[in-house]
Amino acid sequence: MPGAGDELVPVAEGVDDLLPAIGAGDATAFARWLAGAEGRLRDSLRSFATRVDTEAVLQEALIRVWQVAPRFVPDGRPDGLLRLAIRIARNVAVSELRRNRLDPVEIEALERAAHRDGLPPVPDRAADPMLRRTIEDCRRQLPARPAAALAARLESDGAEPDERLAEHLRMRTNTFLQNVTRARRLLAECLRRRGVDLAMELA
Amino acid sequence: MRDEREALIEATTTAWRPRGPSAEPRPHPAWADLDPAARLEAHERTRRLRALEAALHPNGLSTTARAVLARIGV
Repeated sequence: MPGAGDELVPVAEGVDDLLPAIGAGDATAFARWLAGAEGRLRDSLRSFATRVDTEAVLQEALIRVWQVAPRFVPDGRPDGLLRLAIRIARNVAVSELRRNRLDPVEIEALERAAHRDGLPPVPDRAADPMLRRTIEDCRRQLPARPAAALAARLESDGAEPDERLAEHLRMRTNTFLQNVTRARRLLAECLRRRGVDLAMELA
Repeated sequence: MRDEREALIEATTTAWRPRGPSAEPRPHPAWADLDPAARLEAHERTRRLRALEAALHPNGLSTTARAVLARIGV
């Protein structure tokens, strides 16, 4: 996986520029595309959020994007791979609704709502080094246990359930979760004091 | 009651997901216990956390992105 030591600059170029490399199986290019596309793709699933676990749907959709990318033929319009990814994510969500035997009329209504939402706007704060430094400063000020819980989540890369992370830290799972909540809130307070608008969103 | 709801929402914000028979990501066990409003809150909270994680990562990768890259063998 591309890590801190690799020469991988967060998305600054247009994501479409990465298409040939992704299609050729370049995982570093896919990682760069992911960094720019994840938020918009997640936002595109919002209308399904009360009926499907959007995190699971999103991960499955991203894996499928990687699998079909070599066969993807751009139509010349911008954000080609992202539009394909949104279609795939919605299809995964609809499959999940069918698996859960949701009323077809309701499935149709959710699909219509998702289409009405259109392509989410580009996030404006991706890869901001100043923001990163400010968050890191605030993170350093966290008390030990909330800091440890947050670090465990960040460093596990989603590979281990919270129960196991809590065990490593000698915490009960509930205590671990309370520490994650506390870390998030303290970070929000710290960022708010520094005038960072992400603070409002984290609160 | 409020604490329990809060813990369930927080539990779903991890990028970890159980795997199905074909290793596909399945819903988090806590997600099934959430009412619709809490599910929406879980979605929004996860979105914000991933933005924070991406902002902290040198390559702008959230834990979701890193979980997916690990799955595809990167």
